[in-house]
Amino acid sequence: MAQQQQHVLLSPAELAYLHSSLSLTPPIRPDGRSATQFRPLSAETGILPGTNGSARVCFADGTEAIVGVKAEIERTKRRWDDDGVYRENAQQHQEQEGEGKEGEGQEGSGDWVELTVEIPGLRDDDSGTAFLGRMLGEALLADGGFVGRLRVNRRFHWKVFLDILLISPPLSYPLPLLSLTTHLALLATRLPKLKSEGDEDPFFDDDWAAARYLYARDPVTKKVVERPPVTLLVMAVGGNIIFDPSKEELAVADVALAVSIGDDATATKTKEDEMEVDSSSGRNLKLLSIRTVDPPSRLTPPGVANAANSAYGHAQVVNTAATQKMPEARQTESEAVEGVWKPPRGGAKASVMGALVQKVLVKGGVADEVLDALEGVDTS
Amino acid sequence: MADRRRINGPPGSTMPPVFEDDAGQPEIKNGKGRDRAPNVIRKMFLKTGVTPSASGSAYLEFAGSSNSGVSGLKLSCTVHGPRSLPRSSPFSPHIVLSAHVKYAPFATKQRRGYLRDPSERDLGTHLETALRGAIIADRWPKSGVDIIISIIEGDQDRETSKSQGDETWDMMNALSGCITVASAALADAGIDCVDTVAGGVAALVEDAGEGSTPRIVVDPIPSDHEKVLGACCIAYLPTRDEVTNLWFKGDLPASDAGLYTQLVENGIQASRNANRVLVECLGEATS
Repeated sequence: MAQQQQHVLLSPAELAYLHSSLSLTPPIRPDGRSATQFRPLSAETGILPGTNGSARVCFADGTEAIVGVKAEIERTKRRWDDDGVYRENAQQHQEQEGEGKEGEGQEGSGDWVELTVEIPGLRDDDSGTAFLGRMLGEALLADGGFVGRLRVNRRFHWKVFLDILLISPPLSYPLPLLSLTTHLALLATRLPKLKSEGDEDPFFDDDWAAARYLYARDPVTKKVVERPPVTLLVMAVGGNIIFDPSKEELAVADVALAVSIGDDATATKTKEDEMEVDSSSGRNLKLLSIRTVDPPSRLTPPGVANAANSAYGHAQVVNTAATQKMPEARQTESEAVEGVWKPPRGGAKASVMGALVQKVLVKGGVADEVLDALEGVDTS
Repeated sequence: MADRRRINGPPGSTMPPVFEDDAGQPEIKNGKGRDRAPNVIRKMFLKTGVTPSASGSAYLEFAGSSNSGVSGLKLSCTVHGPRSLPRSSPFSPHIVLSAHVKYAPFATKQRRGYLRDPSERDLGTHLETALRGAIIADRWPKSGVDIIISIIEGDQDRETSKSQGDETWDMMNALSGCITVASAALADAGIDCVDTVAGGVAALVEDAGEGSTPRIVVDPIPSDHEKVLGACCIAYLPTRDEVTNLWFKGDLPASDAGLYTQLVENGIQASRNANRVLVECLGEATS
């Protein structure tokens, strides 16, 4: 955290200016974006031939990330209670029933996914990195369908290793970048086609062209039907809600949230079956996880108002008995003065956080926009 | 050479057998269910000043449940500081807060190592976020404070072998306990805070049995319920009516915004209840 503080090289006066311009309606952002606009990015997939799936995303501000997905076959750990005879029968029965609709009702476990984040300049055991990694993994696992996809049969499963590398120095909080890159890499991930049947030892087709995608596609249009989750960074300043904040903007945030959303494809499907509506009517988003990101604004240095600044000859104003007793309280307890930066204290109202989450989830909002944009990336 | 004089254990790791009480009952999870009303948190024991050598300390214990395998959560927290930063560290206009959360090796069913693993570091970051909002940090420039929490016993159901995904939900309970106990220890150390912050957990759970609908309960014990659909942990400042940390995990449809709001409200309620215990404990300590 101390490192984060060093990176934001803004004086209290600059912070106050930034805060007030971001609090305007509409907010004026330093890079001229609108409140809901993302940084322009370029993306490509399938760049690493040695992986099952990979992606590279480069933001306009120069931050760049690479994600490689590798998969290995692993023997599924059997639990003792799986061996009961009745259980075996019941399971087989279930499986035969559910054979038509694959990927449903299949259980998996969270340790089938291993996710590591590497950020240059930070130690491996840095808690900020651990936080990022857990956040990205949490979103993946909260979407219960993901581990189900990794099942091969009752005895074997795929173990997926997600290696997330930030190549550039962390010029901004790297969460949105890493999340988008992971999303694309997972979309491009292919696993060899299974040739064996049932519970025998798995045997795979060695033709890479026949490999199937981890996330299923429409066989005709080749469009992605299901998609992995994305995590968006949102922050509130004054009364404004700002998406994808840069480092400087984050330095004046009142509250910052990382919200993970998923696309509920099954709900869309059933709806279509029922009502025969056109498929472009919008997505059924679902909320997967929310985390509060500790805004670096709490670590910024406070400004000193002229009234409290002895350099301006106003020292006698504050030279009362109370301040003489507690000299350190002089600066901190002064009430907010217009144009003087004061780091936020306390938390945020629950209603403000609710508004942030609502803004992410609203139909046809930013989340839809981001998912639409990601659909435009060629992942075949 | 193999030792043939003794009866040796199996060469690899094995899972311990679990015997069912009733052969006719296929459920492994004991279906006793929750023994509290949905809006009541477990009983808590909180005491400050337990570690004489630290400048502030506290011990927190949650009662177990009626399920015999659940022994409750036991946490001990020490606060060292405020003390001056080492000469080599850069200037800081605020107090530098560092939170360490560590499970004791024997705290959970699966043994934890001595080094902190990513999930413990993650808990530490959450705790730091929750506390940083509460501490009035600019009263101590150029100083640091270390908050060290050891989870002596995590509340996990030891009787079931099937703990599918319960660990992730246990972490939320652990975090809420960590926030409450750290807040008490900070107050014991005499570090100024805007308010006492306390943690609370609310979860959307599904009970065993036919035709049960998901409901919201506070302070859930995952093994009491058939399935936990979503949960949120909240750190809340009651007098300012502000949330310093929100952690939500689950799978909620976006169309149902009310569910999310209800979860957060229940989390706040749980945190208010914990705060009452906290304030009473601090009152006792000062009187």
